[in-house]
Amino acid sequence: MIEVKELHKSFGEVRALQGVSFVASNGQITGLLGPNGAGKTTTLRVLYTLLEPDNGTATIDGHDVRIEPLEVQKCIGALPDARGLYPRLTTRENIRYYGLLHGLRGDALEEQIDMLIKLMQMEEIANRRTEGFSSGERLKVAIGRSLVHNPKNVLLDEPTSGLDVMSTRAMRDVIRRLRDEGKCVLFSSHIMQEVTALCDHIIIISHGKVMNFGTPNQLRQATGQQNLEDAFVSIIGTEEGLER
Amino acid sequence: MNERIAIIFKKEVIDNLRDRRSVTSTLMYALLGPFLTLLLMMVVGNLFNEEIDKPIKVPVQGGEHAPFLVQFLEQNNVTLQPAPADPRQAVRNGDVEVVLIIPEEYGEDFRLGDPANVQLVLDGSRQSTIPTVERLSDLLQSYSAQIGSLRLLARGISPSIVSVLMVERLDVSTPQSQALLFLNMLPYLLVMTVFLGGTAVVIDTTAGERERGSLEPLLINPVRRWEFVIGKLLASLPFAIVTILISLFGVAVVFNVVPVEEFIGFRLGVDLSALGGIFLVCLPLILLASALQMIIATFARSFKEAQTYVTWLPVLPAMPGLALAFLPIKSYLWTICIPAFGQQVLILQFLRGEPVSLLNIAVSIILTLVLAGVLIYVTVRLYSREQVLFLRGEKGSKKRRA
Repeated sequence: MIEVKELHKSFGEVRALQGVSFVASNGQITGLLGPNGAGKTTTLRVLYTLLEPDNGTATIDGHDVRIEPLEVQKCIGALPDARGLYPRLTTRENIRYYGLLHGLRGDALEEQIDMLIKLMQMEEIANRRTEGFSSGERLKVAIGRSLVHNPKNVLLDEPTSGLDVMSTRAMRDVIRRLRDEGKCVLFSSHIMQEVTALCDHIIIISHGKVMNFGTPNQLRQATGQQNLEDAFVSIIGTEEGLER
Repeated sequence: MNERIAIIFKKEVIDNLRDRRSVTSTLMYALLGPFLTLLLMMVVGNLFNEEIDKPIKVPVQGGEHAPFLVQFLEQNNVTLQPAPADPRQAVRNGDVEVVLIIPEEYGEDFRLGDPANVQLVLDGSRQSTIPTVERLSDLLQSYSAQIGSLRLLARGISPSIVSVLMVERLDVSTPQSQALLFLNMLPYLLVMTVFLGGTAVVIDTTAGERERGSLEPLLINPVRRWEFVIGKLLASLPFAIVTILISLFGVAVVFNVVPVEEFIGFRLGVDLSALGGIFLVCLPLILLASALQMIIATFARSFKEAQTYVTWLPVLPAMPGLALAFLPIKSYLWTICIPAFGQQVLILQFLRGEPVSLLNIAVSIILTLVLAGVLIYVTVRLYSREQVLFLRGEKGSKKRRA
């Protein structure tokens, strides 16, 4: 469970976040929709403790990101904006490194890695060095390693960007599965169709502010639009920086 | 050791060992010092040896005017040759080393007992011709002295009356100190090896990590920043240590196994305790170098930029080192206190087989460790800032994707 209250963050002159508040519950897929530059990545970076907010609070499972960053890191799995792998290590070794850093050891760790390799359908690339992997394969490994410690909260920054149709579909299946396991899934996207297809709860963000939030039905009612994507556009006021 | 640090250390060592290209080029650096020294000894040693024994060839113009002088030179191992048409041009071009010109008036002057003029055409800027020119001019001097003595005797005067001074040279240099020419270079080359041994690993684990985009996900793991810094720093040490060990092995081979005496005419030995001493004073410097490189690599905008900065770093300790190669600097305590230079002074003492003061060694080690500690602290502070994630000049959450 993720709770964000009145987050503010500036980079010099640029006011990236101007009072962002929302809640993402367990067993739900929460989408953070907004055009490029709206503050999605900044919000997520605050949540996975890489940025400190100027103002406001963010807690994950009750742990404040500022006060207990280590506790927060233990209960989240994150796919950040940058998702580079170690090209000289195999898929297994890449995932194992993160598992070890999370304190997993021995058989428990190896079983978890096997499970992830099956879940993400990575059997063929499991023992290959990641150098030269396709973007789909790289993303699978990146997701795999972020889930190695079986986190309760999963944060994904534009998880399908750069993927082909097949990989995108596989990705969506994984996200749904995480929800069905009762996890709190928060993902950001500028692709409206994606948010429409996946989310139980949608937060629309633009210029560092939350413009509206709610279930798809609530958003449709609030705007009087039948089509969810039209609802998004009418809330944000422009289609610029979004993708259908 | 802290378990998380051990995990990071192990991963970085394995990862970097698989980087074949970096590993091989580091090994090449390691052997550069001893190999370069050997090469120089062969070239320079050969040069010196040759000049002493071999007959020198001297083109002579107007030899027919001075048959006795010509005979004298030939008796003293000088092969006379016909002079080129334009002696000055030929010497300037380097076609011949020196030309001896005997003017027509020589015979006349000689007979009258006036100083007879002879000319040496030489190029003072050509170092390699110096031995030949000096030998020829020594021979001319001694011919002059010999004839002068004969003339005095003919007038019933003892020749010793014009010899006011008799200069005798007592050269106290031992074979080992003569070889200082070569040895003086070696400390710097070894310190350079210390600086380059861990470079590839330091850059890969810092600037490389960021450029690959693996730094951001890595830092989300529940590990403290200082643990990341220490783990990565430690990972560079085995590479640097192996590099310096290989270098020292090379030094041992060059001075103890390769028959260098054939080139330089005398034997040079570097024993195990000297090598051990060198290794000991290099160890803290390895830590210092890695920490310094880590700071620089963290500030660099990219892998390439980091590489450029960091590979220039060994030039800094070279500055005082170059002075050492030409000046006879003693190991005063203040010289020991200069980081990376103090080590060179100590290494030179070890190589020369001089007694090395324990105080100096202790001061060097402690001072270097303290400085390394400060640099490591600075690095940890750098990694605790959120800016460490982003390349300079690229603030916030701008996407980098194609």
